[in-house]
Amino acid sequence: MKTLTTPPPPHWATLPAAPGALTQLRRCLAADYGKLYRTPALWLALAGGALPVLLNFCIFYFKGEYLVKPGQNPWPHYVTMSWQTASAFLLPLFVVLLTGLLAAIEHQAVGWKHVHALPVGRGAVYVSKLLILLQLTLLAQMLYAGLLLAAGGVLGWLRPELGFRAGSIALGPVGLMLGHTFLATLGLLGIQYVAALWWRSFVVPLALGIGGIVTGLTLLRWEHVDVIPYAAPARVLHALSGKAVLTVDPAVSLAEWYSLAWFGGAVLLGYALLRFRQSE
Amino acid sequence: MAVSDLLLETQGLHFCFGKRPILHDIGLQVPPGSIYGFLGPNGAGKSTTMRLLLGLLRPAAGTVQLFGHDLARHQVALLSRVGALIENPSLYGHLTGRENVEATRRLRGLPAHRTTEVLALVGLSNSGGRLVKEYSLGMRQRLGLALALLPDPDLLLLDEPTNGLDPNGIMEMRGLLLRLRQEHGKTILLSSHLISEIEKVATHVGVIQQGRLVFQGSLAALQHRQADQTWLVLDTASADTCRNLLPQLLSGALLTGPGTLRLPFSTPDQVATLAQALVAAGQPIYGLRQEQPSLEDTFLQLTETSTAL
Repeated sequence: MKTLTTPPPPHWATLPAAPGALTQLRRCLAADYGKLYRTPALWLALAGGALPVLLNFCIFYFKGEYLVKPGQNPWPHYVTMSWQTASAFLLPLFVVLLTGLLAAIEHQAVGWKHVHALPVGRGAVYVSKLLILLQLTLLAQMLYAGLLLAAGGVLGWLRPELGFRAGSIALGPVGLMLGHTFLATLGLLGIQYVAALWWRSFVVPLALGIGGIVTGLTLLRWEHVDVIPYAAPARVLHALSGKAVLTVDPAVSLAEWYSLAWFGGAVLLGYALLRFRQSE
Repeated sequence: MAVSDLLLETQGLHFCFGKRPILHDIGLQVPPGSIYGFLGPNGAGKSTTMRLLLGLLRPAAGTVQLFGHDLARHQVALLSRVGALIENPSLYGHLTGRENVEATRRLRGLPAHRTTEVLALVGLSNSGGRLVKEYSLGMRQRLGLALALLPDPDLLLLDEPTNGLDPNGIMEMRGLLLRLRQEHGKTILLSSHLISEIEKVATHVGVIQQGRLVFQGSLAALQHRQADQTWLVLDTASADTCRNLLPQLLSGALLTGPGTLRLPFSTPDQVATLAQALVAAGQPIYGLRQEQPSLEDTFLQLTETSTAL
């Protein structure tokens, strides 16, 4: 009896193995790090950390005698004052600019159609850029904290009468405040990231960011201001108190919880938009 | 053609931008080892089709099969065997040519030596260290091709790849495509609005017009279609006199000049009979020749009518 056999599939019909999700993410990260080369994004992260320190340094160098009482430990006041300037306005502005710059790398190159036609999923592309953004933000904030302490040390040498050498600063509260600030930044970072990916123009996310920052700062006295993610970096300053000793409340504030919620919501929304968006 | 013999196949592909229909029932059939010329005027739907073939757009209906597998289900796996250049290449101007290739190489997880190889293949070895924003249009196009060739793909999708290339560049590109097919067995889907470009390299042709596939088949089939439209052209002293003297032979002839008649060509015997009859009737024959529409004429005719396959 004859048996019916189906011809074997042609050699090219073998389905190749798809790279795993982590492999895809690793490849995307490797490519995205390479794309940062010669962009202003890295410089912005460095400048974002250094600028508030430089401003504060100048204030203390030229007018320190008006800010520090004789015999008082200058460090708590120095750190608190600097953090207020940096966290309330400069940090949100830095995040707005950084997200816009990162997304512009792909927008300007009309790169989405190329990236999405490669053997990496849209999720990996999306998460990779988000991780780069988070890393650069954290880098800027850690750089800021490190430079702030270093600049205090330099002030001790240049203006010994201010008492920076005699006084001291505990690193624990500074690290804790860094954590609060990072959490407070996440909400607006998530929103700006999604906006920067969605709109090809740099102007729309920039306008959204500046509008958000102005709204947040204007409504700081509103009882529900914690809901506004752009106000969170200013709201967490309440955790900081620096009279004789620098102390930081370790409890996660309502503004930080809202910030986390905004981040989660924005990231999910952004993924959904990217997943179902038709590439240009 | 059996389904399993096709390396790329679309079935009933429809696409709409919002409510505006763009593509209607596109059924491409690309055999392995072919250079498939995808022809159509600007705005006919070529680039949209190419985007659908890469999963960049989702069809309103229909399927895309690459290597016999459904693209929607196995997109990441299948795209590892596909290289593509869609319209203008996506290049990062702040990076050098080599760094651009490196970015894609890392995304694909390929060995480092591929970067050097593809730059050499497209003739950019010496310019790889220059920033892409300083590149000419032709160099950008060649770099885009290098990105497409990077994974040594089994299937190349090239959308208007000769845009911006000078005549030398076009010839080099043509030579490269032919080598890729003949020596490496690659399958290439090449879109263009220029028939003259396609006929020099393609083995198969698909013609799209207003979102509908109006012709698909081998280049030979397209040429055969031309043969069906051959005319016999007679140059003589007086076309009217000839028509009156030989009404049976020249009744269907068109008068295209005082001494020129044009009639449908049927067989070589028809030419011999007509020549004999003209001589017998004492009419001079200054010329008697066959005329075929050029491929370009055929293409224009196909794209002027809208009868879909």
